[in-house]
Amino acid sequence: MSKKSEIKAKKISKKALEKQKNILEMLKSHGAKIYEDLDNGQFPKFSIPSRSVSNIVYDKKLRQYILGNSSAIRSSKNTSQLRSFTQLMWLAFFANRLTNEKKSSTLRDIYYSSQAFEIDFEDQSESDNIIVDLEAVTSRPREDFHIFPEERSSIFGDLTIEYTIPGYEGKSMNLSNHPDGYAIGPSLTTCELVDTSAEIVIAIEKGGLFTRFVEEQVDKKFKSIIINTGGQAPRSTRTLLKRLHDEMNLPVIILTDGDVYGEHIAMVIKSGSANAAHLRELTVPDAKWVGVWATDIEKYKLPTIPMTESDIKRCYDLQKDPRYIDGIWKKELEVFLRLKRKAELEAFSKYGLTNITDKYLPQKLELAKSL
Amino acid sequence: MSLIKEKFNQISPSEFFYRNRDLAGFSNPSRSLYTAVREFVENGLDACDSKGILPDIHLTIKAVDQEKPDPKPYILTVKDNGPGIETKHVPLAFGTVLYGSKFGLKQARGMFGLGATMAILYGQITTNKPVTVKSSTDGKTMEIFELLLDIQKNKPVILKHTTKDVSKKGLSVSICLEGDYSKAGSKIRDYVYQTSLITPYASITFDDPKGEKYSYPRMINTMPKPPTIIRPHPYGTDVETIRRMIVDSQFEIPTIDDIMIEKVRKDLGLSKKNLSFTAIMEKAKKKWKTLSRQVRVVIALMSFLKMDFEKLSKIRIEDLDVPNKKLFYWDFGDSTSKSVEMDPESQYYKQLTNTTQGETLTAFLTKKFQRVGPSTAIKFAEFAGFKPEKRIGTMTNQELAHLSDSLQKFDDFMGPDSSCLAPLGEAPLEKGMTKFFKPDFLTVLQRSASAYSGFPFIVEMGIAYGGEISTRGIKVYRYANRIPLLYDEGSDVVMKVVNEIDWSRYKAKGDPPLVIVSHICSTRIPYKTAGKENVADRPEIERELKLAIQFMARKLSVFMNKRGQAEAAKKRANLYAKYVPLIAQFCTELAGKKKEPNFQKILHDETPIENEEKAIENE
Ligand SMILES: Nc1ncnc2c1ncn2[C@@H]1O[C@H](COP(=O)(O)OP(=O)(O)OP(=O)(O)O)[C@@H](O)[C@H]1O
Ligand SMILES: [Mg+2]
Repeated sequence: MSKKSEIKAKKISKKALEKQKNILEMLKSHGAKIYEDLDNGQFPKFSIPSRSVSNIVYDKKLRQYILGNSSAIRSSKNTSQLRSFTQLMWLAFFANRLTNEKKSSTLRDIYYSSQAFEIDFEDQSESDNIIVDLEAVTSRPREDFHIFPEERSSIFGDLTIEYTIPGYEGKSMNLSNHPDGYAIGPSLTTCELVDTSAEIVIAIEKGGLFTRFVEEQVDKKFKSIIINTGGQAPRSTRTLLKRLHDEMNLPVIILTDGDVYGEHIAMVIKSGSANAAHLRELTVPDAKWVGVWATDIEKYKLPTIPMTESDIKRCYDLQKDPRYIDGIWKKELEVFLRLKRKAELEAFSKYGLTNITDKYLPQKLELAKSL
Repeated sequence: MSLIKEKFNQISPSEFFYRNRDLAGFSNPSRSLYTAVREFVENGLDACDSKGILPDIHLTIKAVDQEKPDPKPYILTVKDNGPGIETKHVPLAFGTVLYGSKFGLKQARGMFGLGATMAILYGQITTNKPVTVKSSTDGKTMEIFELLLDIQKNKPVILKHTTKDVSKKGLSVSICLEGDYSKAGSKIRDYVYQTSLITPYASITFDDPKGEKYSYPRMINTMPKPPTIIRPHPYGTDVETIRRMIVDSQFEIPTIDDIMIEKVRKDLGLSKKNLSFTAIMEKAKKKWKTLSRQVRVVIALMSFLKMDFEKLSKIRIEDLDVPNKKLFYWDFGDSTSKSVEMDPESQYYKQLTNTTQGETLTAFLTKKFQRVGPSTAIKFAEFAGFKPEKRIGTMTNQELAHLSDSLQKFDDFMGPDSSCLAPLGEAPLEKGMTKFFKPDFLTVLQRSASAYSGFPFIVEMGIAYGGEISTRGIKVYRYANRIPLLYDEGSDVVMKVVNEIDWSRYKAKGDPPLVIVSHICSTRIPYKTAGKENVADRPEIERELKLAIQFMARKLSVFMNKRGQAEAAKKRANLYAKYVPLIAQFCTELAGKKKEPNFQKILHDETPIENEEKAIENE
């Protein structure tokens, strides 16, 4: 490790500590306010940004969906809110413990943990919702509170990281030593990014192609870090993509199946989803979708399958989304609608298993520079 | 009355029974048992009511042979503590159809003079057993009759007549009849139960054939004000009634009872003397000018009967058929109906026919109708185009029809008198319903009197909710003149009105534990059938029912609102008690404090006052 990067790592580590401190401070101040209200004989309440459809707006400057200005008061006096108020209080209390003790938990864990505190969630979707509430109130993603989703995606490439999770603190690791890749879980989401020789990040939709890319040494041939998003990229993966872009100054390109869902997977990495409009740190606005485009289907004479009813409906739905009103986003939707056919990444196998890495990928990497 | 009787004489009583048994409620063994119970219980209650006696009714049904399957013979006995029936009237009251004392216009359960006899007739036809009637009018001796009805002659046949010393007044009837208790049982129990609700001043017991004892003790010790007998209202009459009234007014068969005979003797100056028939006639001729019309009529009758006072006291005049010159009478001595010819040449015959000319129209109207004064009568005569001094006995059929029509059309009669009605009253109804249902909410209402077609009526109602009411959905107890109506619920006007109300508007949603008691009182309940089970939907009655229900339903909704608020407050307090301590616990750790905040204060402020619910009950 170079001297320069050592300094950088220290700096980053300090930053992480700072961040943790901030979060704990913030939780404490929320708790103190509620404590005071109760002590003064008042029903505690707080305001929470509204997540109703009418309050979700697209911010052109930020290039993502954000919440508007309207917010709602959640009061413990209101009996219809009392339960969710208490649930949220518990969650803050529990997140505080997790953060303090640097313990991670999953969404499902949260659901079960609640039961030890006489907080009954009807089902996991109710507890998941409360977690989103906490994110909205604090404007922090749940990962900041050590709460992680179940979905795992994976990463491979020359990237040196340093763990921050308890028991591994300071331990470093290079992510090119294991050809199956590394699962992106709590430890990778919270680790320090120390060093890399890569010049680009390639996010790919499918595990099968990820394995092919590793086999074909795409990481070495194209100086890249390969990430398998496993379909729609989980938030931890999106966070990692963002950090690779922001902290390591790496451009991000995205390869998906040649259909409307693939196009949208790319869009969510680039500019987030309406569901997470209350959060600002999950987008990589500069990320580029390089394929498979609808136009590629014709250009590369790819074997196709017909679009289903729901594929077509999805196209029309997306045409109403402000992010799809121009550029390739708009153009490719139109071509999909014209063709009424779609092609998977594996379709290139028709021309040989390595055709995608040998021919298609280089062309697209070249193209990306001009996008 | 004589018209119906004439008709009745044309067919045999058994035929009459068969023709009318459905209407009268004797269609099958199950229904018949129920109807017989009703007829006798209602007679007992009527008798007590008429004399202001707090009723004690004992009903017993026993199977003649326990082992036999239904339908089978039962012995039905109903005993009361009423005034009893005078000895000489017993055979007639229970042995002839259409003999009754309740024809006058006042509210009573019985109306037709039919019920008891029909039940007895049914019993006799199905089991061939006599009826036993025990009656004591003085509380010292009891007359015991065993009677059969001579079906051919419509006459009672006295099988046995004995007397016995007793210590209580009252009457008991016992018949043997084919019945089906396994089918009728629940209806009869319902009937007894519901009767005791609308008659809270009565004590009723029921010993059923299975050995069960049902006992409904008296709930209040005051009787509702007894109704008075009134004359009919002009709007409530038709040609037939007018014709009958004319017959009556021309010649009322005087009740030649001891009092009447005493009066005649006194007027003739013969109080102490027993003269022969001819001597009495002599005496009467001399004193003729000083005699009242009533006494003159009695003398005229005696002249044809050729009887002295001694003999006269043993008969009852049945009918006077002037056109056919015949006089019918009932002889108590040998219990037969007899007749004598009247000599048209006799001056006494003229006396009778003179009377039959009747009074003037205006006199007739003022004397025979309620709410008609002399000036109204003259105005009416003018309206109808009659001379005021026209004798009613001389009216042709056409004129009578016109008279009847005009009575309906004349707008200036005052509304009918309701003093003949005997509603139960709000307080007794409330008390009865409270004891019966022990509800959380109760309200009762008596509407003021109203009238349909000249018949006065009063609607009284009660609504009870919650408490010990275990039925779900709206349960309606229907009464008419204190009789529970149990059959043919669907077509009843009360049900119609109840079903038309949008109960959810009054906060009684879903299947509320709600009881409605509805009592219609009238001199003539517009029953749809003579089975007396459902009331027709006259608009006037429907309107009163609707107003009453709506008024009470509004009170119910106020109660439901308050109860809802109280329940919500309680629920809220429970929620706070559950969650606020948790919030306190979590925020304490979050805020990094050691001691929990003092949240008791807000919990205390939110606890509803305990007796809030009690306060609502007293609404
Ligand atoms: N328990 C009783 N005590 C005294 N009188 C009675 C009793 N039962 C019957 N009567 C007399 O016998 C008469 C005949 O009774 P019945 O039941 O046949 O006719 P009703 O009650 O007048 O009319 P309905 O046909 O509507 O019952 C009554 O009007 C009443 O005068
Ligand atoms: Mg009767």
